Amino acid sequence: MGDATKQERVKHVFIWPAFLLVLLITLFPLIYALVVSFQSIRIVPPLPPRYVGVDNYLEILGSARFWGGMQVTSVIVFASVALQYAFGFAMALTLHHNIAGASLYRVAFLLPMFLAPVCVALIARMLFHPVLGPVNELFSAFGLEHIPFLTTPSLAIATLIVIETWQWTPFVVLLMLAGLQGLPSEVFEAARVDNIPAWRRFRDLTFPMLLPLSVAVIFIRLIEGFKIIDTVFVLTGGGPGTSTETLTLFAYNEGFKKFNIGMTSALSFVFLFVVIIFGTVYLAASQRLMRRYQ
Amino acid sequence: MENQSYRRFGFLLGIVWLIFCLFPIWWVVVTAFKPPIAVSQGATYIPFVDFTPTLQAFRDAIAGLRGDFAGPIVSSLLISVTATGLAVFLGAMAAYALVRFEFRIRLLAGLVFGIVSIGGFALLNQTFSVRVPYALAIVLVTALPLSVWLNSLRLPGPVLKNDDVTFWFVSQRMFPPIVSAFALFLLYAEMNKVGVRLLDSFPGMVLAYTAFGLPFAVWLMRDFFTNVPIEVEEAAMVDDIGRLRIFFQIVLPMSKPGLVATSMIILAFIWNEFLFALLLTSSKWQTLPILLAGQNSSRGDEWWAISVAALISILPMIVVALFLGRMMRSGFLAGSIK
Repeated sequence: MGDATKQERVKHVFIWPAFLLVLLITLFPLIYALVVSFQSIRIVPPLPPRYVGVDNYLEILGSARFWGGMQVTSVIVFASVALQYAFGFAMALTLHHNIAGASLYRVAFLLPMFLAPVCVALIARMLFHPVLGPVNELFSAFGLEHIPFLTTPSLAIATLIVIETWQWTPFVVLLMLAGLQGLPSEVFEAARVDNIPAWRRFRDLTFPMLLPLSVAVIFIRLIEGFKIIDTVFVLTGGGPGTSTETLTLFAYNEGFKKFNIGMTSALSFVFLFVVIIFGTVYLAASQRLMRRYQ
Repeated sequence: MENQSYRRFGFLLGIVWLIFCLFPIWWVVVTAFKPPIAVSQGATYIPFVDFTPTLQAFRDAIAGLRGDFAGPIVSSLLISVTATGLAVFLGAMAAYALVRFEFRIRLLAGLVFGIVSIGGFALLNQTFSVRVPYALAIVLVTALPLSVWLNSLRLPGPVLKNDDVTFWFVSQRMFPPIVSAFALFLLYAEMNKVGVRLLDSFPGMVLAYTAFGLPFAVWLMRDFFTNVPIEVEEAAMVDDIGRLRIFFQIVLPMSKPGLVATSMIILAFIWNEFLFALLLTSSKWQTLPILLAGQNSSRGDEWWAISVAALISILPMIVVALFLGRMMRSGFLAGSIK
């Protein structure tokens, strides 16, 4: 009995270091940031902090730049995640059926995901250079010369979507492939014996069986996608103007270019709120979708 | 018949995607060897055919002609290796506890903790003007024991179990990082005012990145530990070997592949991380991604120099990808998606 409680007590030794670290580094600073978000603090010029209530929050909700950032972020995230999922799932299916040279492909397909987004953006700046880049050369072959990919708002956003798709499709491939490998092969063999055509096998077996995984993969990619800053920071710096400024970049600019600390804190909490709301809605909706399939 | 056409389509898709995937990497590799003329006269692709390769860009980088490369590389290495080690170690311990022991946390005790700490901090800081780090410390040492004590009482309300604790860890990663990065920046700045230097310092960066990597470590290691057969541990317990010794001498060595894979993934995340480094460093401990981001404005069209810089950051990651690609073939990831 005494031994059992001693055994039980040791669990605290295991979990407390990790728990305390997350508490101290991730959560406790939030308390201070929350208090700051109700104040007006500027470093330049240095003014004493002043309590302003929800003014910061109201100012954000009334600011066109915030809604612009929301729109840019959402367009990039939704478009690129849709592409990532479509290509990623297709690639996973291809790799799963062991096409020639599959093992070579696996490493190559993984690579983009492990590059620093900053690096990827630097490479993209060269590739999409309107005069010296290879993409320009490709488009020139079709008679479209010197397209300003990075300095036209809509093209810059399209370029960002391509980059995000390039970098993160491997993540979808990786997880969907693991999911495919975990499916019971007997069911598929039975279906093959019954001469059920391949696309119906996909529609009626593979897709529904992988639906929970798909929901999770898309969720992770959406949440991760919302964080985007590094690619934009290097590729366009948010420009031209603020037309490609994402939410995180907007928050950074407020804090470190305008030194508007209270505002940035409030902005980060608004952002957190948006993500929580979005996550809840997404999960609820996907629960309903999954129930329909069962 | 039909299968054949699907197969052909798949093969085609594979080839196209392979080119799409590898072209940018090919581009950055060859560009690092280009002389200026091979850049300024339009796109060139194949060394010796399109242009004469040169090592000049590498020589310049090593000689430090174009800014200090060595500093950020050393900082990046030190910070990411230390933080990865710590995160995997602490995460593995927590994950083990979550697999082998039962935790019961009363939601009410957690709520009290939150309310006491936020309310207490606001009160101390605003009304009594206690400095931020002290106020936070006071709040922590009051609220934490209080809620631990409350947890031992029979309070009403829901009880959180192990899965909820795991979710608590993982949910840290769902936060937009700007929230915690900026909050951490504010806290570090306040710490600097009371004489503890955490901004632009090694301990500050390691702490931040350890906390950043921990949720992954807990999540991934939990699956590896679930697969370690409990019988071995039970046998050891019969012999009255302490739980800590069991963990370090039996469980950890048995889950070595998992530890290595987890370390690789977390190392990649930290090595490439940008936002925390952007906010928390200014000069001395700047990491490679920050240096890279600066290349853009400082180098302009010197593509060969930019490519060398990018390659330095890419090379270790190619090793990681090769390694994980091999592990993926052995199906090790199948467990972590449940």
